[in-house]
Amino acid sequence: MSISKHATQHKQAFDEPLWWGLFSAGGICFAVFLPAVILFIAVLLPLGLLPAEALSYERASTLLFSVPGFLFVGAVVCLPLFHAAHRLRHGMFDISVGNDALNKKLMYGGAALLSIVALGIVVTGFLR
Amino acid sequence: MSTDQITTKQITTKHISVKRYLPDSSAEPYWQAYDLPVDDSTSLLDALNHIKEELDSTLSYRWSCRMAICGSCGVMVNGIPKLGCKTFLRDYEGEIRIEPLSHFPVQRDLVVDMEIFLEHLAAVKPYLIDDNPVKPYDPQAPETYQQSPEQLARYKQFANCINCGLCYSACPQFGLNPEFLGPAALTLAHRYNLDSRDHGKKQRMAELNRHDGVWSCTFVGFCSKVCPKHVDPAAAVNQGKVEAAKHTLIALFKG
Repeated sequence: MSISKHATQHKQAFDEPLWWGLFSAGGICFAVFLPAVILFIAVLLPLGLLPAEALSYERASTLLFSVPGFLFVGAVVCLPLFHAAHRLRHGMFDISVGNDALNKKLMYGGAALLSIVALGIVVTGFLR
Repeated sequence: MSTDQITTKQITTKHISVKRYLPDSSAEPYWQAYDLPVDDSTSLLDALNHIKEELDSTLSYRWSCRMAICGSCGVMVNGIPKLGCKTFLRDYEGEIRIEPLSHFPVQRDLVVDMEIFLEHLAAVKPYLIDDNPVKPYDPQAPETYQQSPEQLARYKQFANCINCGLCYSACPQFGLNPEFLGPAALTLAHRYNLDSRDHGKKQRMAELNRHDGVWSCTFVGFCSKVCPKHVDPAAAVNQGKVEAAKHTLIALFKG
């Protein structure tokens, strides 16, 4: 009894709730914020439907290199990255590519690295 | 087809192919075709019984209640897991292919070995666990448990499982990893966790919060589509993920 209990305890997935939480949060950001971001930055702005100075260099850098800018990057870059990493990891398991332990490190590691770069740029700009 | 069009007067012939596996005479499974008379009321189980009684007594399959409550007659119909007694041949045009349930070892013809499913069921302790120290017949024993309709409603839907195993055949994750506890076991664990009379949640969470517990589910949702009792295991498993995440957070702070 104590041996089987120990074995179960040993196999507890303490990391999975974290990945799943980031996946869920990223999914919400993907659904709620990204369509608006794509609409403004990738559709309306190139078509010239926004006022020219709406995202001028000066204005854009003030907006980005601030606390709201930091949160913005977290919501539209970092969390969706973890969402995508989670999907890729499970997708690779589904088609039997690689092994899950390695895929996990690669996918979440990649998402973490890119997140640090993205947030690092904001912080560097903020401190300058 | 709506029920007012159903007639038992018109008998037609349908062809069904059954995947046979007779390990005593042939190492490889093979397909065998049967022609049988059917009317609009013929269920797949009726058809299999007709084959067994009139055409080929060597055919093996499981059945008992013929009214979708015993959960014995699960088979693959054109690749979809179905209960034989709840599937009617009137709904199928053209070829009808009958195979044993996917993801389970086949013992003979349509009979599969469900041992691993039963092991997973037992692992989640699907029964009321009471930590009350009072023994039966003790004058100190508490009154009969009372449960309000609201408390019943919390778990009632998840209590309708008949252990037919269709959801295991539908689950691609169970197909990839038979150690995955799977839809029905996780649903039943959730059902007892939601029961106001139960005190076994802590013991069950240790099983649920493993990689082979709730975390192997990728929310494909096919389990809920094939469930003949509308239990919605996909919802139960994903509510189980929330519970497992809470359990981990609490464990983290309590040490």
